[in-house]
Formats: sequence, C-alpha cells, structure tokens
Amino acid sequence: MGSTLRKSQAVRQAPGGAPPERRSPAGGFFSGLTSSEQNWQFCLYQQEMLLPRLTLYWSGNAFILAPAVMITGLFAELAELNRLVGNHPQLFFSWVSFLLGGAPKLREGQREAAAETSQPVVSVRKKQIGDHERTLKAHKEEDNPQKTMEVNGLTPVPDSYDYDLIVIGGGSGGLAAAKEAAKYEKKVMVLDFVKPTPQGSSWGLGGTCVNVGCIPKKLMHQAALLGQALQDSRKFGWQFTEEVEHNWMTMTESVQNYIGSLNWGYRVALRDKKVTYENAYGEFVGPHTIKATNKKGIEKLYTAERFIIATGERPRYLGIPGDKEYCISSDDLFSLPYCPGKTLVVGASYVALECAGFLAGLGLDVTVMVRSILLRGFDQDMANRIGEYMKEHGVNFIREFVPVKIERVEEGTPGVLKVTAKSTAGDQMIEGEYNTVLLAIGRDPCTRKIGLDKVGVNINEKTGKIPVNDVEQTNVPYIYAIGDILQDKLELTPVAIQAGRLLVQRLYAGATTKCDYVNVPTTVFTPLEYGACGYAEETAMEKFGEENIEVYHSHFWPLEWTVPSRDNNKCYAKIICNIQDNERVIGFHVLGPNAGEVTQGFAAAIKCGLTKEQLDNTVGIHPVCAELALKTVTLVGRQVKTGIATGIDLPLMSGLSGYGHSPALAGVFEEESVKEKSLWPFCCVVSLPKATWPLSNPTRTKRPVADLPRLSPPGASRSDGGKEYPELEAIHKDHQGPTPGPAQNSPKSGTRVEFKGFSLSHTINLI
Amino acid sequence: MAQRLALQRLLSLPARGPLASHSRAFGTSAGRRSTFNVQDGSDFQDRVVNSPKPVVVDFHAQWCGPCKILGPRLEKLVSKLEGKVLMAKVDIDDHTDLAIEYEVSAVPTVLAMKNGDVVDKFVGVKDEDQLEAFLKKLIGA
Repeated sequence: MGSTLRKSQAVRQAPGGAPPERRSPAGGFFSGLTSSEQNWQFCLYQQEMLLPRLTLYWSGNAFILAPAVMITGLFAELAELNRLVGNHPQLFFSWVSFLLGGAPKLREGQREAAAETSQPVVSVRKKQIGDHERTLKAHKEEDNPQKTMEVNGLTPVPDSYDYDLIVIGGGSGGLAAAKEAAKYEKKVMVLDFVKPTPQGSSWGLGGTCVNVGCIPKKLMHQAALLGQALQDSRKFGWQFTEEVEHNWMTMTESVQNYIGSLNWGYRVALRDKKVTYENAYGEFVGPHTIKATNKKGIEKLYTAERFIIATGERPRYLGIPGDKEYCISSDDLFSLPYCPGKTLVVGASYVALECAGFLAGLGLDVTVMVRSILLRGFDQDMANRIGEYMKEHGVNFIREFVPVKIERVEEGTPGVLKVTAKSTAGDQMIEGEYNTVLLAIGRDPCTRKIGLDKVGVNINEKTGKIPVNDVEQTNVPYIYAIGDILQDKLELTPVAIQAGRLLVQRLYAGATTKCDYVNVPTTVFTPLEYGACGYAEETAMEKFGEENIEVYHSHFWPLEWTVPSRDNNKCYAKIICNIQDNERVIGFHVLGPNAGEVTQGFAAAIKCGLTKEQLDNTVGIHPVCAELALKTVTLVGRQVKTGIATGIDLPLMSGLSGYGHSPALAGVFEEESVKEKSLWPFCCVVSLPKATWPLSNPTRTKRPVADLPRLSPPGASRSDGGKEYPELEAIHKDHQGPTPGPAQNSPKSGTRVEFKGFSLSHTINLI
Repeated sequence: MAQRLALQRLLSLPARGPLASHSRAFGTSAGRRSTFNVQDGSDFQDRVVNSPKPVVVDFHAQWCGPCKILGPRLEKLVSKLEGKVLMAKVDIDDHTDLAIEYEVSAVPTVLAMKNGDVVDKFVGVKDEDQLEAFLKKLIGA
C-alpha cells in the first residue's frame, strides 16, 4: 500500500499551472497522504477497529449491568420469599438474612418458610394457610371459617351469582319490579314472608295493599256506602218492609275470597314470567348474599348481582300493658272472624279514620281517640271538615287523650275490653269499655331485622326508614330500595309500583327516567271521601308566601243527595293557584263522593301545568260533582270592603248548575264593586241551611274560622310541651310526618265569599 | 286467610264439617270412597298417579265461587259410576306445588288422569251433560 502511495506521489506537473494536491506532512499516521487518501484510510481504520471497539464498549457496560442484574435478581428473590411467607415482618427479616449471609442464607430462609410436612398445601386467596395439618387447625379453631376468606374484613364476592336480581318483599313495589325485570330476560327471585300478627293473622302473596290495605279497605268502605245507599233508596221509590241489617261474616268472607284469588293470580303471574318465588324470610348475611328462611325453618343461601328492598311496613303498637294481647290492628281487621262490635279506634291517621268510617257505616258504635290533630300531613282545613262530617254521622271523637292501659273484662269473640286513657293536656283520666280496640297510630318499616348492618346499608335509626338518592339507590351501590320504607317519600301503592318499574328499566333497559314524586294524587276513603293533588293550603302559603297564593273554592251538593235530602253543603272543593306563575294550579282538594275518580283527571292536568285560565276555559260535564269542582269560585275582588260581599251566602243557580251563566251574575266575578250590583234578588239566604257564615273581616288577613266549630281550642298549648306520646318514647322512635303546617287551625288566606251550587230543581223549590 | 275462615267455619259447625261430609255421603253404600281429598304429594302419587283406575282430579280453592258449584256436581256424577272412576280433590292453596306442577292457573281446573298421564282437562264450571260426556270419554277411552 505504501508503494502504491509512493508511486502516486510522483506528482504530475499539471500543465498550465494546476495547483498540486496538498499532502500531509511526513510522519504520523496519515503522513504524505492527500486528503482524499486520508479519508479512505480513515474509513479503513474504522473498519479495522470495529471489533476491538465493541469489545471495549460492552465490557465497560458489563461493569454497570452486572450489578443491576444482581440487584434485580435479589428483589425477585425477596418478593418470592415474601409471597411464600406472607406479611411484612418476614420481608424485613429476609433483608436481614440477606445482608448477613447473602443469597445462600436467603435461600435457607426461603426453604424454611416453604417447608411443609404434609400435602396438600392449601392457599386461600393467595395466602398460604399451610399444609394439611395447619389447614385443619385453622378451620377448627376459627369460630367462623369464613374469616379465612376475608380480605381486609370483607368476604370476597363470588364471581358469578345465582340471580341477576333478588327482590325482598312481594308487595306492590316488589312484584312490579320483579315482573318488569323478568321482561328483560333477567333471572329474578322474589322473597315474600309474612310474620304473623300478635293475634295470629297472616296472609298470602301480594303485600299490604292487596291483603290488609287498599283492597279490603275499599271493599268494606263500599259495603258501608251501600248501607247508606239502601237508606237513600227508599226516597227513590224502593220499598222494603224489613229493616236492613249487616252481616260481618258474609262481607268478610267475600272480601277474603277475592283476596285469595288475587294471591293466586300473583303466583301464576310470577310463574308465567319465570320469576322464582320463595315464601321465605330474607336476610342479608354478607356482600351479595342473602339467607332465606322458610316457615319450616329451613335456610338457604342465595347470591345476586343486585338487590331491591321492598319490605314495607307493619302497624305500630302503643307499648302499653295489654296492647299486643288484646288490641287488633289493620292487619287483623280485614280477616276478623267475628264482628268487632263496639270499637275504639286509637289514632287519627287516614287508616284510623277510614276504618272508623266504614265500621260506623256498617252500623257499629265507633269511637276515635285522637292525640292531637287529624290527618297529619294533609290540608288541615279539609281534615277538620272530614272530622266534622264523621261526627255528624255518629262517630264519637275523644280528643287529646291517649290510652295507657288495656284490660280484658270479659272473654269471648269479641269480648269486652276496658281502656284507661290519660289526657295529653292535663292529668285527667277516663275509662271506657269496648268490644274491640283497633290501633292505627302509625306504621314502622320492616328494616331492622333483615341484616342491613351486615352489608352496610344505612337506615335512619330513629324511624327505620332508608334514605335513597333520586335513583332509589341506597349507600351500597348494588342495593336499591322502593316503596313505603323510603325516607321522605310518599307511602302509596302506585308510587311504589312506578318507582319499581322505572328503577328496573334504568337498570336493565338503559332508560334514564326517574320516578317523579311531585304532584302525586291521593284519596282518603273516609265516609266523605277526600281527594287531593299537590300542595295543602298551609304548605303552599309557607312555600310561596300568602300574597302569591290565590285560593278558589266552593261548596256543592251532589245531585244524588238532593232527593234524599242528605248532607247539603258538606261537599267542598278547593283549588290553590300560584299567582306568580301565571296562576298555575298547585293544589287541588275535593271533598265529596267518588273523590278518587274526580281527582285522577285533575292530577293529569296538574302534571301538564294546568292554569286557572285553562280550567275556566274547560267546559264542565253536567250534572256531576266534578264540574262543580271545576267551577270553583273565589273571593270577588280583593278590594272588597265591608258590606254585602261578606257575610252572605250567594246561591248561584244557573251558573254552577251549568245552565249557562246569567249575565248579571257574570258581573259578579268582576274585580270590583260587588256591592254595587244588586244581588239581593238572587239571595235566598233565609231559607238556605246555615252552613258557613264566613268572614266578618273583609280585609286580606287571616280568616277566622268562625264557620267551623273547633274540634279543639285553637292554638291550645299542650301541657306536655308538644312531646309525642311520652309512653312511646322508650319503645318506639317517634315518626314525624310531613310538615304539619303552620297552624292546626284553618288555613290563612284572603277574605272569601262563599258560593254554593244548587241544582235547578232545588232552586225552583226555593223560589 | 281463607284457611283461617274455613277453620272457623269448621269449628263452628255442629256437624262434622263440609269436607268430611262429602267423602262420607258418597261411597258408603259400596264401602269404598270414590271421592277423596289429597293429603300431600306422596298421597297424590299413590292414589292418583299410580291408581289402576282412571282418576278425575278437581283443583279447587276456598275462595273460588264456581268451585263450590262444580265440586258437588262432579261428585254426584262420579258416585253414579260406582267406582269405575275415582275423584281426587286438591286445594291449590294447601298443595301449591302440585298445582304448579300441573300448570293450574285458574280454578276450577279438572284433569282426567289415566295411568299417571293427563288425558283430558277442562277449566271452569260445566253443566251436567258436559260432565257426563267428559266422564264417559274417560272410562270409554
């Protein structure tokens, strides 16, 4: 190579003076070479040096890599050791053993830890229990072998469940939810069990509504109404010479037969929809796991992905001597195998008043013992009217007393019981003898003995109710609750059914609709039925302010009652409007026959945002009670001064009976100057039954309830300072109903003029 | 509940009670009882499924009005046949599992069983002529 170079070194003298290529100076590696030659040489040099260079590079790296590999290996060893022996202390010791003796020591430690004396070696949840002997020991010594399964105190959840959904409670809500879920091809089970009452009553599938609630109640209420109808029928020309009597057994048997068919119907429906039904008491025992105990005491365990609690409520007892032994509740009443006779009903809930109402309607001697107000949570004006009506129809009321002792005086069915009661406003004690004492003081949720603590579901300790969010979910994500047991929700069958159905649709059909608890209509089936939807008057005033509320109302006399001359001026309708919101109807109340039928349609209208104007523009149906509810009238003009408009009852014949408004009367509804129009020709005041002589005070202040005889002194302060049943405090947590309203008196509102509607025929009689 | 009422009636009646009287009134002449109440699942198995003679099974309920009409009518006709056909009465509330097994959804449901198989069935009240035809078909077939 050098000679080649050398040869090229013979420089050709370029003719013409081309500059000669530069040569590197002699000596050194590149001596005597041109730059291009230098480049070439350098490449060759790199090639030559490649292998040695790589060797140098990697051997240098090996110095760094080897320790890294070693350390990683060490960590792996320690991790393995840790896994084998579990817990943290071992890790520390394994470090120590490594530091002291290196890997061999570590291995020795590993060997010891993993050394077993017999097979098989059992691991539970990645934690080694040990060999055969140790495993047996662990199982025997543990009180609850399940604990070995626990991780951080929680039993692990099985990976596949027996059911998609288990519903606890076969009532209105539970069955609706179960049937809906089955529609979406889910594997569903319903657990329903009725713990017999202290008196021994029990019933079949269907829940409270079907067996001891709405259904038998309405049927017996109908029985009472028929009794009244029989009395009225004479005036309509029916002739029967015998006196009409009622046979309790016949009625009860018919009612129970119908309920039996409903029970069977539900069983068939569940079977057809392939829902598994067990007549067993369900209790939670662990996450996703429930224990079902049937009436023979046999227990079975089931697991499910989700649960719905719909266990409902049972009647509360007083907690006084003799209550469970001698008293009955609504759970017993509808299947009582003997006529109750002279009955004392304790309580003022709608259950109490409805039962008292139909028992009185069947001809029994009924007394209602009320602690304070009637129908807590309902519009108090309406509640008082209901009370008045019942009083006039033979139901005795004992106000402001609570029973303290029940004793049996005579055996028999029904026998005679002696009740001792104490006044809530003093020390007065009274006694009375009755054949039957019916307790209707409230209902308690069945949530305390179903193992909710084992799964961590929160309940309100005081009331037992379960708080849920707006999708009916409890604090445990896979457990839901519907129906009467929910906190701050309405206790009504249709609400439970709706909530159950919508919940299941959200869970399995991807729906998003939530249950709407606003503007839910309801009806109380007292002898004079009461239907309501929306706000009570006092609640509306509290929420929106008195000046923003307009109340329209009227009395009316159902046509059917005119001929038998029955109860005129008792029926009443009231509409509450929010002035600020375009006079939207926010409350509807009606007291009269078939109140439930009347209210249902109005509930739909209110849901659509009914305004007073729309109501006025709706033509009525004639002659029905509902049109009279439609054409409610208010105070004429807020500027009415003292004088004619107040203190008189104005009959509106043509207007309210639907034969068209008379032009003169149309003027009555103008804003002002009622007194300027001569209304006297229309007033047959003298011959009108004196029902309500309203306000003497025309200004828009609180209306004194001069017209309603007070059931208790207004604003009476109770000597016990408003405490609940002191006797109950030790035993029951008090149940506070919805807002009782600012007063127990009549609602506060502007002045009113009372208008009554009469049928034309009545008017003709008068004129 | 229906059971409770029935119990009361049973206790309050001075005579032996409706159910007992049925089975006594018929069959005393022949010394055999052609109508009987099924006691439980095994009783059903023995006396109905394994019965050498054809059996008419009447599923009824306490709360069912039409059952109370059909029951006596059917029994009368069965007794006339003097033992050629037996009749078993099953209360669906007491023996719900049997009722579910035989897919009873409404009552009264009457099954005609021969050698353990259901050969005929009807639901609801029938008049005497129809019942006679039903029974004739069961014996004849």
